[in-house]
Amino acid sequence: MENLVKEIQNMFSDHADFFMEKEIKDSTPIYLMGFNTLIDLTKSKLYVRQIAGTSASVQELFINLSDQLEIDSEQIIHALLKGKLVIVSEKDERNAIVDPISRNLTRSIAEPLSESPLLSSVDAFGEDIDTNIGLIRKRLNTERLYHGSFEIGEFESRKLSMLYIKGKAPDALIGEIKRQINQIDTDIDTVEDLNKYFGERRFSIVSHVFQTELPNEATHFLKKNRVVLFLDNYPFALVFPQTLMDMFNVSSDRNYPTVIAYVIRTLRAIGAIVNVLLPALYVSVVSVNPEALKIDLALFVSESRQGIPFPALVETITMVVLVDLTLEAIVRLPKSVGPTITMVGGIILGQAMVEAKLVSPLLVIVITAIVISGSVVSGIQNSLYIRLLRYPILILASIFGLLGMFIGFLFILVYLASLKSNGIPYTTFHINRKGDAK
Amino acid sequence: MKRVKALMMLMFLVTFLSGCWDIKDIDKRVLPLVIGISKVNNEDYKVTVQIPITKKDGEISRIVTSIDENVSSALGQIKTNSENAVDYSHVRLVIIQSDLSDNKEELKQLVTFLMTSREFPTNAQLAFTDVPIEELLSNINDKLGVDSTSLYDFFNKGAGWAPEILSTRIWEVYRSMFSYTEDITIPIVDPGKDTVINYKGAVALKLGELTQRIDPNETQLIKLFQNKNAKGKIENVGFASVMVTSSAIENKTLIESNKPVVSINVKLKIHVLEREAGISNERIKKDLEKLIEERFNKMFEKAQENKTDIFGFGQYFRNQIPYDDLKKWREGYYPDLKVDFQVHTSME
Repeated sequence: MENLVKEIQNMFSDHADFFMEKEIKDSTPIYLMGFNTLIDLTKSKLYVRQIAGTSASVQELFINLSDQLEIDSEQIIHALLKGKLVIVSEKDERNAIVDPISRNLTRSIAEPLSESPLLSSVDAFGEDIDTNIGLIRKRLNTERLYHGSFEIGEFESRKLSMLYIKGKAPDALIGEIKRQINQIDTDIDTVEDLNKYFGERRFSIVSHVFQTELPNEATHFLKKNRVVLFLDNYPFALVFPQTLMDMFNVSSDRNYPTVIAYVIRTLRAIGAIVNVLLPALYVSVVSVNPEALKIDLALFVSESRQGIPFPALVETITMVVLVDLTLEAIVRLPKSVGPTITMVGGIILGQAMVEAKLVSPLLVIVITAIVISGSVVSGIQNSLYIRLLRYPILILASIFGLLGMFIGFLFILVYLASLKSNGIPYTTFHINRKGDAK
Repeated sequence: MKRVKALMMLMFLVTFLSGCWDIKDIDKRVLPLVIGISKVNNEDYKVTVQIPITKKDGEISRIVTSIDENVSSALGQIKTNSENAVDYSHVRLVIIQSDLSDNKEELKQLVTFLMTSREFPTNAQLAFTDVPIEELLSNINDKLGVDSTSLYDFFNKGAGWAPEILSTRIWEVYRSMFSYTEDITIPIVDPGKDTVINYKGAVALKLGELTQRIDPNETQLIKLFQNKNAKGKIENVGFASVMVTSSAIENKTLIESNKPVVSINVKLKIHVLEREAGISNERIKKDLEKLIEERFNKMFEKAQENKTDIFGFGQYFRNQIPYDDLKKWREGYYPDLKVDFQVHTSME
């Protein structure tokens, strides 16, 4: 067993945080090995010593500490990297993998950062996959909750958990997802890496999965016959498949009276449509089809555009891009600098550009409306793709006017209707339960 | 990859080449609102165009005139001479001076041009005037506190404000020139002394020919037959004045021994505005009924003489007269038409 100790020592010789401590039990030297960045060494040593004090022999100590005895070297290395404590006795060639007292490397359950729910519980998923699943189990204490765990990846092995309620999620869907997960042979670093395995959608702007940070939402999706996936170290639940309605429906809406919930959802839908169509409507009405305006409105629009040097399309694209840049900058910036950008951006976009007669005041109103309306949909990825959709419509509108705008909108609807995730259409209203209740 | 590149190239081109070269933004267009057409020396057409000018403080308007052999070339001249692109798609009112409208052939030609030119909206309204058109149009700028759209606003006061004002659209006039069974009435306007426009009633147009003038008071009845509410009309019965708050009309038609008969029931709900002392409701009702019935009968008699079906009675018989006989409606049936016109009023 000298070999094993040597081998491990050599392997981790350039890892400064690797430790190997020698302890004596019954005049037998034993080695404790691990990474002190992952293991709380002092407490773990104390724990081993305590067990050693109550154990009669080295053999008994090993049995008391662990059920994983006599492991081959490859698995020991794997265990070490995962943050386990490995004990090797010098003489009688024994080893054991012990669950040590780990350093706390995960944050505690906190409030959500990408959503701010009203009238809902405000805990959010964190990085630790077990905590996340625990949050779900706490809400869904039924034996029908299935939890399958996978280890995926080429270099690293990353934990992927799959949750669904037996008898609710369709069997065909479950089978298909399991097959797809088993096919994964590369590292999954991002959600998009995972997305690739759920079917061909290379240039699609809509992901297969809906991401949510709220355990409440995830539980609700499970009950609505969906499958929920968790990636270790990723603080979001990935709901499969994503549907169009997820953009408008949030389960915590139901904490309001039903009528109000429906009004809120309608508002979100209006917001999405306004966000896609409004800039295009402005361009088409101002430059291609002014006859669509009532005369009073036409004169008003005409007056508000007096002296503006750009054509409506250039003016609108400039403003829309500037606003998107501002939004992106606010996301990137630290919280201390963010407000400055907001203020400066607001002044430049709103006031200075109008006063300099670079854009018309009417356009500023349009831009404000789209910034606000773009943020009403649920899910940050949804609001991003909606923002993207308005560019093609804008260009079509600048060429063909109102006709182009509606053709563009129609094409977008056709495109969205063509999307499918494992046979389930993106535009479906609800996922049928085809699972057999067991 | 090749396809992706081609697609990106295409998008790039579309983005940067579109929208900028052959499309005029709204501020680079002038939007004429009213077009006046008249004749000069019985030969050339004179086209007068009222263009609202947008300015920060209120709107004023500009009047542009051009004379040429025909209307389209006169309009073209305005386009050529204008500093911005002229967009006729906002024309809301076409005013024709009476020396032109009196000529049947020229009027027909003009309406056909307006209908088919594609540059004008066919739902623009048509009106006649007896005075020179410049006088009418420049009246807008002379009146204080009137904005440039007032000429158009005049015909669109909204429900209940001035129910006697007729509004006739170009396509309706065009349609009536081919209709066997319906004639049209076109409003006549004058420049007012204190207001922009004075309403002078209407003329009946039979296949492009002017046949009779109609009083402002009588035009109300025509609107009633067009199923437009007479709400808001104030009637003076001598010793009282009443306001009509709602109206409904019912027709029954039949053909008796090859002669058409119509019985019409008009139901009016009225509200007495003022009355002399001691006048009963019954009397007001009776007098009002009589007044309106007389007014109708007088008007109808005249229309029948002129063989002009201004109320569109022919429309009611379209399914009762063989199709081939419909073209004889004006000459054969209409002079024999019997109308039993009855008004029933009720107090609110």
